[in-house]
Amino acid sequence: MANDRLRSLEEVEKEIGVVLQCAGNIILELSKEKHNASLLDRQLSQFTGCVSRVESELSGQIRYLTQVATGQPHEGSTYSARKDCQMALNRVEYARLKLGELGQTCERLLDPQT
Amino acid sequence: MSSQRVLPQSKETLLQSYNKRLKDDIRSILDNFTEIIKTAKVEDETQVSRATQAEQEHYEMHVRAANIVRAGESLMKLVSDLKQFLILNDFPSVNEAINHRNQQLHALQEECDKKLTNLRDEIAIDLYELEEEYYSSSTSLWDSSDMPLCEAFQRQDSLVSPEGISGSMGTARVGDSSGVGSQGSTPERLNGHGAGTSEHA
Repeated sequence: MANDRLRSLEEVEKEIGVVLQCAGNIILELSKEKHNASLLDRQLSQFTGCVSRVESELSGQIRYLTQVATGQPHEGSTYSARKDCQMALNRVEYARLKLGELGQTCERLLDPQT
Repeated sequence: MSSQRVLPQSKETLLQSYNKRLKDDIRSILDNFTEIIKTAKVEDETQVSRATQAEQEHYEMHVRAANIVRAGESLMKLVSDLKQFLILNDFPSVNEAINHRNQQLHALQEECDKKLTNLRDEIAIDLYELEEEYYSSSTSLWDSSDMPLCEAFQRQDSLVSPEGISGSMGTARVGDSSGVGSQGSTPERLNGHGAGTSEHA
């Protein structure tokens, strides 16, 4: 859910770039002696579409934040779960270490040269 | 109490400022773009000379284009501020992210513990067989007071079943004179695994 909203905001950033790109292309096309009408129409519709999409998306995000935000800091944490998991990984690592030592001891005893 | 009143106000004020910035920037882009298109129209009648008029329109277009770029930049800053506000204040998604991460970590921890438990069970089985082999061989150097794991399991099984009580006399190890007679009174040392003291030297 959080990633969806952040991803949509990143899309909005790209749309803002497209808005400026389209505005520049329209003015560039108008500066020529012979205009390409279809290109102008396409660029203009893309420009207006992007501007309205940017506005509606950002308005929606601000409206959602108005409903959801409390002004208080969030006090949740994953620390306890991370600590438990870290201790479990330490247990596994310790067991692996001890089994390695046991294996070395067995190899040393079974080695015919010693 | 007054500080609690201040916080929601600042949040409201902040979100209203975001709205205002959004409206102003979109308005700026549309107005300046419209004015550039209007200025591009060639007019026959001018109040000043054509060169002056052209120079003036040229400068005006530059300024309006710069205004469009500035409004775009301001919109990008607004999006960045909204992202930051979302990460810090969107509690439903923060809670979901925390729960998801906790579940992942719990699952990993349980998997580690489960594998360690399986490993322990497998090693216990191998240890049982090895001890049985070792303590039953004539070349072993075990102490009579030691109780190997296999013997301890046999004793435990015999104590559980009623017909095993008399059978436990027969399964008592030769030389383990201290084990059967005094098993109720003195604790046996499990071949180095237990912490109890041995009174049978």
